[in-house]
Amino acid sequence: MPKIFFATDLHGSEVCWKKFLNSAKFYGADVLICGGDMTGKAIVPIVSENGHFTFALGGESQTVAADHVAEVEANVRRRGYYPLQMSVERLHELDQDPAKRAACFQEVMLEGVDRWMRLAAEKLRGTGIRCFVSPGNDDEMEVDDVIRRAELVELAEGRVVEIDGFSMISTGWSNPTPWNTHREEAEEKLAERIDGMASQISDASRAIFNLHCPPFKSGLDEAPAIDADLKLLHGGRALRPVGSTAVREAIERRQPLISLHGHIHESKGAVKIGKTLSINPGSAYEEGMLMGAIIQLDPTKGIKSYQLVNG
Amino acid sequence: MADATIGTPATAARPALFLRNATGLVKAWSTFDAFIYSFWSINLITLGLYGMSFVYTVPDGQLLAGILLFGVLVTFLVITYAMLVSVMPRTGGDYAWQSRVLGGGLGFVLSITGWWFTLFLWAPIYANILVVQFFSPLAYTLGWTSVATFFTSQLGIFVSCLIVLAFVSIVVTMGMETYARIQKVCFWIGLVGLAVVCGLLLFYSQSDFQNAFNREATSLFGAPANAYQGTIDAASKTFGGSSFGTFTFGPVLLLLPWLAFYLLWPNWGATLYGEVRGAKDIRKPFWSMFAGLWVTVAAVVVVVLLINKTIGWNFYQSANAAYWNNLFAVSGAVAPPVPIWPYPVMFAGFLVDNHLFQALLIIVMGLWFFGWAGTLFLSSTRVIFAAAFDRVLPSWAANISAKRRVPYGSLVLMIVPSIVISAIYAFKPDFTSVFLDATAVLALTFFATVVAAVILPWRRKDLYDASPIARYKVAGIPAISIVGVITGLFLLFMLYQWSFNPDNLYGTSLQKTPNSVIYFVATYVVAIVIYVVARIVRNRQGIDLRRIHHEIPVE
Repeated sequence: MPKIFFATDLHGSEVCWKKFLNSAKFYGADVLICGGDMTGKAIVPIVSENGHFTFALGGESQTVAADHVAEVEANVRRRGYYPLQMSVERLHELDQDPAKRAACFQEVMLEGVDRWMRLAAEKLRGTGIRCFVSPGNDDEMEVDDVIRRAELVELAEGRVVEIDGFSMISTGWSNPTPWNTHREEAEEKLAERIDGMASQISDASRAIFNLHCPPFKSGLDEAPAIDADLKLLHGGRALRPVGSTAVREAIERRQPLISLHGHIHESKGAVKIGKTLSINPGSAYEEGMLMGAIIQLDPTKGIKSYQLVNG
Repeated sequence: MADATIGTPATAARPALFLRNATGLVKAWSTFDAFIYSFWSINLITLGLYGMSFVYTVPDGQLLAGILLFGVLVTFLVITYAMLVSVMPRTGGDYAWQSRVLGGGLGFVLSITGWWFTLFLWAPIYANILVVQFFSPLAYTLGWTSVATFFTSQLGIFVSCLIVLAFVSIVVTMGMETYARIQKVCFWIGLVGLAVVCGLLLFYSQSDFQNAFNREATSLFGAPANAYQGTIDAASKTFGGSSFGTFTFGPVLLLLPWLAFYLLWPNWGATLYGEVRGAKDIRKPFWSMFAGLWVTVAAVVVVVLLINKTIGWNFYQSANAAYWNNLFAVSGAVAPPVPIWPYPVMFAGFLVDNHLFQALLIIVMGLWFFGWAGTLFLSSTRVIFAAAFDRVLPSWAANISAKRRVPYGSLVLMIVPSIVISAIYAFKPDFTSVFLDATAVLALTFFATVVAAVILPWRRKDLYDASPIARYKVAGIPAISIVGVITGLFLLFMLYQWSFNPDNLYGTSLQKTPNSVIYFVATYVVAIVIYVVARIVRNRQGIDLRRIHHEIPVE
């Protein structure tokens, strides 16, 4: 019976992606599921000037010789940022032109995902391990095409996939957020999207709902309270539920065996919603730590065991 | 979708980071909000005045010097914690830091004893503070003597514990966002109250105070004439007096464990939520803790100077000695003319000959308690949740109710033992020393975290090298290790004094307090047993707890 390793919200951390690929061997899993938000949030310019390279990571500007750039780039990638070598002129061009900056972001993100797909092929070839990815709300739509082309990674978004007698539906779409990201829609639309897939599953007791957005008021959706200016309220210590009512309603009505979520990095947890075990393993991608869930499925018990780990 | 650029001070004209719109990227919180949280954690009225009422036990210890020295030493603790936050911002907190650096089992045992079992003891301590700073002075001032005396009875003490437990449960239920709003209101009104107290102590003379004290001692407590001198006389049976100007270095060091009662906690809740735009914003935790610490130190210095000026240092220390020595039945101790805890706020109120004003001042200053005490179980709840998610505790421990989001599992795990401990506190006075140890056990938890910080650059080289603090070194030694060692030595000194002071100065020396030894050994044994049982049970379920924090190879 399948042993699943689920992780989510890697946000461009190459260290976390490599750990994700190695997790199958490390935990003895035969199915890997990446729950979305693969792409990074920031580019760190490494500016070439007078034979040296200048960058800022952690607040202060630093200058290194050319032979240290690879090390700097690895450090930047480790934190989920995209390192990008450029001239001073290119830096100012990107700074002043939002359209060029957006195009640059798309280029480095798609190149990054493509590199990850190639890494997956190297690691998983011949292992028999299935690897599913469903991009999240922070991933541009073009990411799907890159994954579709991948040799050993299966795009799970928007469809039902069979995993050793269990059925999994997936979506990276979320309810609206203050950041107006790429895959957001009203709760009604999200409900329709989930329902369209869930209605194809005949046996809910063998269903896996891989839905990026966690259910509302589940304890898996507690995000820092912010104001309209995206500023943290009350010293960054107050939390609010921001999950989806559509996801909650789908779980309550359909009662799948298990539901897998991400989206809210701070809200690691595993809770029961009726008969459903809902899990958000959390994310600490910027620390290079892969937070994940190991789920051992069983043909009679449904879930034999589960464990949240910090790899 | 690119939407922002962030520059650095060194290259202000150049962007250092291009950010795009993505979920979770937030701007830093207001420094003032963070300061308020830290300021409450080292509450100078509620905890400070209570803790400092014991410094009469070190009569040659110059309190101002002790406070300033403590401020300097705790600054190293603040730096250590701020550095840990910058290395592991998302998974922060003592439990996570200890588990990831020292190992899961050790992290569980140390955190669970410090943040779960020890906080049972703090409920009765909070209750005692509530009684001596709120119920008793208010009741006496309003002429409700029977109410005041009820809270000194065993049943009254137990009832006060239940009131505190009900209050903190309500706060956990309402959530931090609502409580933070309440805290802010309490902060401003409490500050006005403090300004009034300081103003009274500033503008009235010591002879004014003596007259006022003698008047109210007779009016409110039925004390004989000249209760001011009577208090000093009563104390003189067990206390040799104290001079504010005396300075000897050794006794100043002996003050530190007493001051820890309120000044050791600027790092309370040092963890972060949210992914703050721009790595430099990580410095905010340091500045909020640092400001909370030093603003409090400055305020305490002002309050202490004003007490010395108007109330009189020898009288104030005598009043404390008379009260505590009589309560603890020290040999030769006699009851003071005014039978309640010497509350400087109440004393300041005496300077205005109006009982309604005095009552109002006590109520307003009571907000220092209500704005702070509600966070008692918040950290415990987080540790219990973390242990449940790690499958060390049963999953129901992390259950929350669907409608009101009440974490009833962790609340039960906190409240039920706290009620039992409160009953022991109220009805078994032999166990008093156990409660005096509450500060020491938390200091031990901090010590373990500091050890984790010291060895972090070698034990978790990957994490350290990738962090913003990796470039801070002194003579090639990581700065976090250096500040950690200094902090560790400071904590070790206090732990030694609490455990082995030959005169049992703090009431916690192991050789004099077998009940404490039994209690705390039992808590560590229980924590170890829980972990071992969890390992066995989960192993049978196919879950290996050892792999929770095992790092997956990258290559």
